[in-house]
Amino acid sequence: MMKAPVGGAKHQLLPSCSFLALLAALALPMQAQAAGTRAGSTISNTASASFDTGGGSTTINSNQVDLLVDELLDVTVDSSNSADVPTTPGATGQVLSFSVTNTGNGVENFVLSTIANGGGDNYDPVVTQIYLDNGDGVFDAGTDTPYTPGANDPELDPDESVTVFVVATTPGGVVDGNRGIVSLVAAAATGTGAPGDSFAGQGEGGGDAVVGATGADGSDAGAFIVSAATVTLVKSAVVNNSLGTADPIPGATITYTIVATVAGSGSVSGLAITDNIPADTSYTAGSITLGGVAQSDAIDADAGDYNGTRINVALGTVAGGQTRTVTFRTTIN
Amino acid sequence: MRKALFLLFAALLPGQALAANHVALANDVFVERVTTDAQGKQRILLEEPKVVVPGDRLVFVLNYRNAGAQPADKFVITNPLPAAVSFADAGDTRPLVSIDGGRGWGQLDQLTVALPDGTRRAAQPADVTHIRWAFSKPIPAGGSGKLMFRGVVK
Repeated sequence: MMKAPVGGAKHQLLPSCSFLALLAALALPMQAQAAGTRAGSTISNTASASFDTGGGSTTINSNQVDLLVDELLDVTVDSSNSADVPTTPGATGQVLSFSVTNTGNGVENFVLSTIANGGGDNYDPVVTQIYLDNGDGVFDAGTDTPYTPGANDPELDPDESVTVFVVATTPGGVVDGNRGIVSLVAAAATGTGAPGDSFAGQGEGGGDAVVGATGADGSDAGAFIVSAATVTLVKSAVVNNSLGTADPIPGATITYTIVATVAGSGSVSGLAITDNIPADTSYTAGSITLGGVAQSDAIDADAGDYNGTRINVALGTVAGGQTRTVTFRTTIN
Repeated sequence: MRKALFLLFAALLPGQALAANHVALANDVFVERVTTDAQGKQRILLEEPKVVVPGDRLVFVLNYRNAGAQPADKFVITNPLPAAVSFADAGDTRPLVSIDGGRGWGQLDQLTVALPDGTRRAAQPADVTHIRWAFSKPIPAGGSGKLMFRGVVK
């Protein structure tokens, strides 16, 4: 048994002793834990009294009381995505990030699971796999570890965190603006329950494991937001002839106008408008325009070209809410 | 014969054993458990714990007794706070406290802590490392009393 630190009158006589005691106290690792005194450690208290009954100063120690610190089971889960993660209909490998922190005072394994059908959203993402981060905080299916419940439940020291990635597939039927929520749940492997419930002898260091304020489990929600775009094409034709009427007689000119409208919160990439020249008509060379700007017939720096049977205008990436207008002319043979 | 043995014992531990037989200091630690009954009233129960968890509120009780025939003068009781316990309060017993491992002493509201930027802040209960009660009057023969303070398991 350790003798109690010096107290009473000895303090005045030997101040250096208490200085040593302070140094020793600072060196104790148990003090540094934000999660609390480490499970299994012992709290010992001894008081001392000094007095003088006529024969000089005397110091006595009280009895020592020892208290074993039990393991408190606590965990928190936090979504690491600052905003909803954009996804598209049918997309695979969509990733949500979470961090799981052991806020208890003992080393503990945590069982992970997900809830994708908790409601409050428009669709249920299909969770395909949970991954444990390799420490770089960035998802990489090649270097992060696939999680299997019961097989590699992450073991965390007090205050330690692990980054967890939830990988999901977005169903094909979702539409722009739909939101899908996935919650990650972490539960102490020793057990969960109401605060104060205890698991006898299962705490670190031989004490009990006691359910803490979190109930020994925690969860947080992350969400995907479907960011899709749709393209609408509207084609119209205007006929002009030498008679000044709109009759489609031989020699008349047909001006075709194709308006591409992109709607939604996403964008479309690689958008191209292609139109075959109708039979019995002849393409009017150099007649392609895009947004009122003439395009050459060759495949070159500008967006338009004509290959002898069809016109093509490459629009590239177009964001939702924008339109592109293409025109070209033919004459009736 | 008994007396001779006693004197021999006293000689082996000069000055201490004699007095130790006359003054006793007992230390008890309880944990405060707050329960709420069906009427919503809070009750505080003191339990003698074998185990504690971080956040538990502990009540330290020190019983002293002068069983000797002589008054005990310059009576000082000192309790170094266990490293894993954060001081909360000492009721109305107004102890002296130390915030530097027992080097300096004072009332908590008179002590300050140096900050890295050179300024000083008022000491907080969590800074306390030692608690001490220094009696201005001798404890008379047969006199006894009780002191207490509270702390929280870190």
